[in-house]
Formats: sequence, C-alpha cells, structure tokens
Amino acid sequence: MRDDHLSDQELVLAADGELSFHRERHLAGCPSCRARRLELEDAAALLKRYGGSLPAASPARARLRLQLAEMAEQPAAGPFSPGAWRMALASGLALIGAWALLTFHPVQRARAFEVPSPRLTPGAARTVDREALCNSALPKNQVAPAGLRERVFQAYGIAHPDPAKYEVDYLITPALGGADDIRNLWPQPYLSTVWNARVKDELEDRLRDLVCGGRLDLAEAQRDISTDWIAAYKKYFQTDQPVR
Amino acid sequence: MAAQPAVELEPRGSALAEEIVALFDQWREPLLRYLASLGLPIPDGEEIVQEVFLALFQHLRRGGGRANLRGWVFRVAHNLGLKRRRRQPRAASVEWSWLCDPAPGPEEQCLKNETDRRVQAVLRALPEQDRRCLILRAEGLRYREIAGALAMSLGAVSMSLARSLARMARAAER
Repeated sequence: MRDDHLSDQELVLAADGELSFHRERHLAGCPSCRARRLELEDAAALLKRYGGSLPAASPARARLRLQLAEMAEQPAAGPFSPGAWRMALASGLALIGAWALLTFHPVQRARAFEVPSPRLTPGAARTVDREALCNSALPKNQVAPAGLRERVFQAYGIAHPDPAKYEVDYLITPALGGADDIRNLWPQPYLSTVWNARVKDELEDRLRDLVCGGRLDLAEAQRDISTDWIAAYKKYFQTDQPVR
Repeated sequence: MAAQPAVELEPRGSALAEEIVALFDQWREPLLRYLASLGLPIPDGEEIVQEVFLALFQHLRRGGGRANLRGWVFRVAHNLGLKRRRRQPRAASVEWSWLCDPAPGPEEQCLKNETDRRVQAVLRALPEQDRRCLILRAEGLRYREIAGALAMSLGAVSMSLARSLARMARAAER
C-alpha cells in the first residue's frame, strides 16, 4: 500500500538511524522508498562546506590555553565553597533554593534580570571625554573578561549559569564610555522578552548618535541608561513599547 | 613528540583544560564556518569560538552534562553569533560561500554549472532556520545535535531537512 511508504521526513531520519525497526524493515524491502532515499542523499551531496581559507589554529589555540590556565587557577564556582561554614550554610541554602524554585518560574526569573539590580549594578564609566569617545572606533560587542563574568553570576546568585541562556552584558555600553567593572555588568537573559538585549542595543545606538551629534551630554546619557534603561528607551524613542 | 603546553596548568584543571583544547582542535573550523554563514567575519568568529570554549570549560568543571556536547557548543556559538550580528552590519555575501568547493578560487568558479546555480537559488529562497539546519548538517552534525544547537525538536529538524532536500532534489532534476 502507498500509505506504507516512508515519508521524506522518515527517509531523512533513516540516515541517522532514527527509524523504528518496523520502518527500517519496510525501507530495506521497498525499492520505491530506497530510490527516493537515494534522491534525497544526492541532494544532500550537493551541499558543500564553506570553502574559504581559515586562519591557522595555533595563535587561537595558544590564547585559549592561556585563558584556561588563568581560569584553572581560580576555584570552581558552585553553590558551596570549601570551609567550616559549608555545612552550616547548607540547610539555609536548601531552604532558600526551595523557596526560589517555588517562587521563580524560569520565565519570571529571566524577566527579573531584564533590568539589573541597582545595588549590584549601578553602572560605572571610564574617564573619557566626548570627543575622544566619538573619534575612537566603536567597540564592537566587547566581551567582559572571563573572571569578571564569573563574579557577576556569583553576585546574582546564579550558581550554574548556562551560556545558552544568559549573557553578561554591560549596563553602560563601552561605546558610551562604560567600564570593565563588576558594577557595570549584569546577567542579561537571551530568553525573548519585550525588553531584551536587541532593544537595549537600539537604545545604545541612539544615545551614541545623540552624544556624538552634540545633541546630548555624555554624562546625561550614561546616567539615563544606568538609572533605568527601559525608561531611557521610552524617553529617547518617545514610545511605551519597543519600536521594532 | 607532542608539543608541550605553553603554560603549566594546575593539576586539577589541567586534564579538563587539555580536553577542552582537544575539542577546540576538533570543532573550531566547523564553528568558524557556521559563524561565517551567519554573516560574521572570521576574526569575530574567532573571538566567539574562544568564548564558547571558555564557557565549555566552566560548564564541565561544574559537573555540567556531557550529553549532546557538540549540540551545546553550537548552541552557545549560535547565541553569541546572533548577538554580535545584531550590533554590526551584515558582512557581504559570506553566507553563500559555503556552497563552494574547498578548492581556492573566486566564488564564481564555485557555481560552475547550471545545477549549482539552481541549487543556490533554492537555498537563497529558504527560510533562515531551514538554511541553518542544512549548514549544520553539511558540517556533519547529527540531527539530535542540530536540534540542540538550534533549540528545535528532532521532528522539526527532520521535517525542515526533508523539505529543503526535496526542493534541492527538484532543482537538480530540472
């Protein structure tokens, strides 16, 4: 029966051994399905990998080794640190953990970091004047040093940060003179929310344009974005919702 | 004789660090190609790959899961790549060079026949997520790894690939 034949999706799955025994048996005995499988495999063979030349790995490998050596010297972060107080704290932490599990759904927790804690992340800026900042090349998505990122996660009580879920971001972007300082960093969730990293990027670009165009004082831009970046967005875009 | 590490690592972290470096050697190029397919210049890709493997070190050091590790690594790279892409203009035409043969030469030579041109037209017309699935498959990732990398279900990955390959097969036939 035609209905017994494998779909393209099943034929694709067969390449990774993801078919059930029953369907595998059908495939083995069906010339029509095998022919279709060959067609799809021929199509897959048309795909070739990126063909440009890539730089040698050795400089990047050496840099990675150095950074790993630096990280290996630091104690591994975790919910507990070694010490006599560890056991005494354990029960208290367990209670707090249970409370947090009951209180913070993952989405709620992610939303909790849409804006940073004013106590932990009030913002910090380098000493730089407007002209120098605007004449310098725009720092492209600068990444905070690894050790600093680790401390940020600890400060925010994220014991096992999953890099697939969080990014440590600057409150005052380096493009506006923001500093590599733990007071200027917070764990921003990738989880899509209304006020997410993309929206903040738009604000950063707008503020830099205004500052470098002489229409906004640099100190005022730094103050606005560090006090409440969402309020700053609403103020500078004159909207209650992200424009895009 | 194997080359000595440039830096002596502390005993507890050294074995893990060596494992990370071995994985770096294995996955760096596929990661760079994938990041290039997102439109990122190679130097930016190199920075992201560094971040990815430092994150992997921390993840494993805390006893993080090892199941589908390659999917995890590509997922972190994917997230960081998209984040960086938002902040800079899209690099011109990098995305399509993955269709070319590995032999050096101008891109035009890659499109050496009518079939290649038709297939490229199909690829251009695909939704971005379908293209990403294809690119990761071309890099040798298993379906479950692609699912992990792009936060999709196994069924969604296989459906996407089946749809794309069927279109490519039709284009190649014409």
